[in-house]
Amino acid sequence: MLDSFLISFRLKITYRVNGFLYSLKCVPLVRKLLPDRLYCVRGLKIFAGILAGLWELVSLFLGKILYLWLMILLPAGLYKGDQRQIFLHIFAILSVIGMYANTYMFDPSNDKYYAMFLLRMDARKYTVSNYIYIILRQLAGYLPTLIAAGLQAGLAVWESLLFLPLILGGKLAVAAWDLRHYEKTGDAANENSLSKAEWILMGVLLAAAYGLPALGITLPAGFVWAAAAVVFAAGLAGIKKIRDFRYYREMYQQILAGKRYQMDSVTTTKIVADQDKKYISAEQGITSSKKGFEYFHDLFVKRHRRALWKSTWRMTAFAAAVWAACTALALAFSEVGEGLNRFLMFSLPYFVFILYGINRGSLTTRIMFMNCDHMMLTYPFYRKPENILKLFRIRLRECIRLNLPPALVIGVGIALLLYLTGGTENPANYGILPVSILAMSVFFSVHNLVCYYLLQPYNAALEVKSKISALVSWVTYLICFACMRIHLPTFGFGLLTICFAVLYCIGACALVYKKGAETFRLRN
Amino acid sequence: MELVIENLRKSFEKKEVLRGIHFTFEDGKIYGLLGRNGAGKTTLFNCLSRDIRCDSGEFYLQENGNRKEIEAEELGYVLSTPTVPEFLTGREFVHFFLDINRKNIADLKTEDAYFDLINMEPEDRDKLMKDYSHGMKNKMQMLINIIAQPKILLLDEPLTSLDVVVAEEMKQLLRKLKKGHILIFSTHIMELALDLCDEIVVLSQGTLKKVERGALDEEAFKEKIIEILKEGDHA
Repeated sequence: MLDSFLISFRLKITYRVNGFLYSLKCVPLVRKLLPDRLYCVRGLKIFAGILAGLWELVSLFLGKILYLWLMILLPAGLYKGDQRQIFLHIFAILSVIGMYANTYMFDPSNDKYYAMFLLRMDARKYTVSNYIYIILRQLAGYLPTLIAAGLQAGLAVWESLLFLPLILGGKLAVAAWDLRHYEKTGDAANENSLSKAEWILMGVLLAAAYGLPALGITLPAGFVWAAAAVVFAAGLAGIKKIRDFRYYREMYQQILAGKRYQMDSVTTTKIVADQDKKYISAEQGITSSKKGFEYFHDLFVKRHRRALWKSTWRMTAFAAAVWAACTALALAFSEVGEGLNRFLMFSLPYFVFILYGINRGSLTTRIMFMNCDHMMLTYPFYRKPENILKLFRIRLRECIRLNLPPALVIGVGIALLLYLTGGTENPANYGILPVSILAMSVFFSVHNLVCYYLLQPYNAALEVKSKISALVSWVTYLICFACMRIHLPTFGFGLLTICFAVLYCIGACALVYKKGAETFRLRN
Repeated sequence: MELVIENLRKSFEKKEVLRGIHFTFEDGKIYGLLGRNGAGKTTLFNCLSRDIRCDSGEFYLQENGNRKEIEAEELGYVLSTPTVPEFLTGREFVHFFLDINRKNIADLKTEDAYFDLINMEPEDRDKLMKDYSHGMKNKMQMLINIIAQPKILLLDEPLTSLDVVVAEEMKQLLRKLKKGHILIFSTHIMELALDLCDEIVVLSQGTLKKVERGALDEEAFKEKIIEILKEGDHA
């Protein structure tokens, strides 16, 4: 068992080292300094090996710190009330989600595929030994971080430690349950493709975790500790099943079935291309009376109407439903109305993140590439600068239009909600709220399309090749996230947003006009 | 008309793929471009179509003693994997292409006349191209590349995966097209190159060499080509 673990651990470190060296080779300036026979350089491999080992150690705590801070302490701080109770409430409920959505055992990861199928290691020894390691890692990672986070929220050390049986016992119990289920039915759990019921349960649990404290309701501590005891007992009972289960190899055949194809890049490309082809509507009677590129684009939109507009209408309906629920709550409970009114006066920075989240730009540009530009960019006439810009103008209009409906509902909705919950001293806020929300929507639409034209990330084999494009996406996400920490009155922040959006759109479009013809091409 | 390439070089990191190509292609001929896997045939085509930038060297058209830059519409590039916008019908694609390039097309025909050129059945013309077979997509790609009659047509193994009937139709089409144009046909299949092409050019050790047939019979000529291709191994 120990041998199996050591072999699999060395394997993991090896591909982590090679992955690191490969990433180094992709960094524009660094790659020129590196030798071609990179993977043979002993010193560099030792250095990467040390980094890989360090990462194994750092990741032990880093994920936990981020989780505890971003998912629990930070949101808990937004509520008024006993922080200890709220921390306890959110953490306990999120732990239930983690029991079935973060199992390790049912995660179809590459390391399992390499070890069990490419190297044909003994599936039971591999799984059990690595599972013990993961449980010990969880224990070691949570021990200090949980105590620190608990202390910050006002929990005693012993109270924080009581979470460990809940987390670990829960994971063991669910794993044993899923193994038993496989024995009976032959259906393996897969945490990357949760069932509809599991998604619904997750939604309900998330709503309970973050929604109930807003209404002043939290789980009693006694209930959480009692649940921890029950779950821990169930976890201990499950250990035997995990140890003695005889069908690991067979079960992983099912869980890792997709990996076989993903490892083959030609097949993956075909799978990706075929998935996107399904977006093309075969509906009869679609025509266009337009000319030139307007004709081409019109047919593209009409044949992809479902894929392009479905999520827009879904978002719009969701925004309208949230607005209706908030309005109903505000009108029914005056204290909720007051809270909402206070929130709305400082809430605009949060809407930057929301608008970022609901923008369909990346999906739109992906469909544009997979079903149109991927093929068309091989034709010289399509790559002529004047044609690239002609189509860019048409697409810009379309992208803005695609994202406007939910933004309009949100913008008008919050202005109306502000009015219904007691109004504001500055009437200009009624105007600035919807206009700034629309400006954010236009900004994200322009940003996505401009990034697509300037940093076109795909090559002809549909692989993402641009690291800069990935970096820009990350920076955009981080900035939007950081915006939530800005505390500015609605009027000031709204005005800033509008000015920034206008200036950015002008600047970015000018850049596409100048550089687009050079940058918008298939990567090699 | 001639396509002149002078000292064309392209390296990827330290690997020198094209090591100073000097060659002149003449119109009215189909050139068969042969080379081993990884010899740089696609790199050469990508440089000529300006999909990638060459490290040094130049290429241009020489017409009546005048030298001129190659415009985008003067060069067509047919890939081995056919790429057509699958959300359009064949007719819509041709309609769009004609709309965009109307002023560059000398002898404008009706859409159906173009389909007749590639023997496309009338019932297939109004189908979405996502439902086309590999061969039909290939024909469409070829058609779009020849409607505007580009002076240079680069063909990167376009017949490799076609059935014998379609491959024969395409060969006939290329033979009809060669008058007044330069066709460079890259392939791995020597029989195909010998059957279709007027000249055989080998890309080996990063340079282009024309293989003269002289009085050799087909077998001897094949052996000569293989010898030249093998030379790359001993370099």
